[in-house]
Amino acid sequence: MNKYALIGLGVLFVVIGFVVKDQAWTRPEMFAGLQLDLGKTVTNIGVFLVFIPVINMYFYVPLKEAMDARNHDLESTFTEAEQLRTQMQTLKVDYEARLMKTEAEARDQIQNQIKEAQNLRQQLMSEAAERADTLIRQAQLEIEQEKKNAISVIRTHVVDLTMAAAEKVIGENMDTEKNRRLVAEFIETVEVAS
Amino acid sequence: MADSRVSRRYAQALFSTALKYDVIRSVESDLDLIVTLLNTDAGFEKFVLAPYTGREEKTATIDRIFSDRITALTMQVLRVMLEKRREEEIEGVRDEFVTLRRAHEGVIFAVITSAEIMDDGQRAALTTRLESVLGKKIEAEFKTDPRLLGGIRVAYGNYVLDGSIRGALSSLRDKLKHDLLKQQ
Repeated sequence: MNKYALIGLGVLFVVIGFVVKDQAWTRPEMFAGLQLDLGKTVTNIGVFLVFIPVINMYFYVPLKEAMDARNHDLESTFTEAEQLRTQMQTLKVDYEARLMKTEAEARDQIQNQIKEAQNLRQQLMSEAAERADTLIRQAQLEIEQEKKNAISVIRTHVVDLTMAAAEKVIGENMDTEKNRRLVAEFIETVEVAS
Repeated sequence: MADSRVSRRYAQALFSTALKYDVIRSVESDLDLIVTLLNTDAGFEKFVLAPYTGREEKTATIDRIFSDRITALTMQVLRVMLEKRREEEIEGVRDEFVTLRRAHEGVIFAVITSAEIMDDGQRAALTTRLESVLGKKIEAEFKTDPRLLGGIRVAYGNYVLDGSIRGALSSLRDKLKHDLLKQQ
């Protein structure tokens, strides 16, 4: 029922209660010994009818709204919590998957690095061996060359010493007569290349 | 400082004029005289080459010394050289003149070096032999060098005829070293 109708009805009852309270037929002795004042009763009913919408308007509706809001908040909170829990669950699964993937990648990477390091080691060792061989060959060539140079120098010295000795012997044995013979021989045999 | 291009130019001019008047030998002998004096007389050399001595003074003095000893042509060239401050070129002019004269006469100049002094007979025999072999007249300058040990060496133009012990030993040394290098 409309609240304004209830108020109106309540006011009507109050008025009726006031109107009938002094009527003889409303006295208590009229109700077979039942202590009932009909005017007061009707008035109380009217007051009650008036208060119902007022109470409803000023207390019940705000209280209900507050309770609904609270319920709504709680529902929202629970929903949010549920969403967060789901999200967390998803994240956890995702994290675990990612962790596993990362571990697998790390393992692969480590394996690759180990393989690469082994290849590099192999390469470096072969390069070092090759370089060592080259150095040894070069050193052998240099030693050989130095040996040849030393032998050449010694031979050259021997030639110089021999020539110096020959010069000395010839110089000591040379005299004017021999020199004259040499000149005469030159004069006889001199030729010019054409 | 002597400049061989300048000397050659003076010498060519002098030689062509001397050839024209047929006084080549006289001019050469004049130049020899002057150069000999320059090389043997330090005072004369200092006077001629001194940059602070005036040209007129030098020309007058040279005139007094040489005018009645050398040909007019040589004297004229000498004056020009003094005038142009070319005193240092005198010896170079003589050398170039001799070279031109030898080229003109077809004479080969040879330096003959021997370990000991050669006697005139050997010199004459050698010169004759060289003229016969080379087919040209020879002008020889004889030198002595004991380092040759024995024998002689004849140098002319860009050629050397080596009949010395030193030359033979050098050849032997070169041959032995060459053989050693080939063995390596």
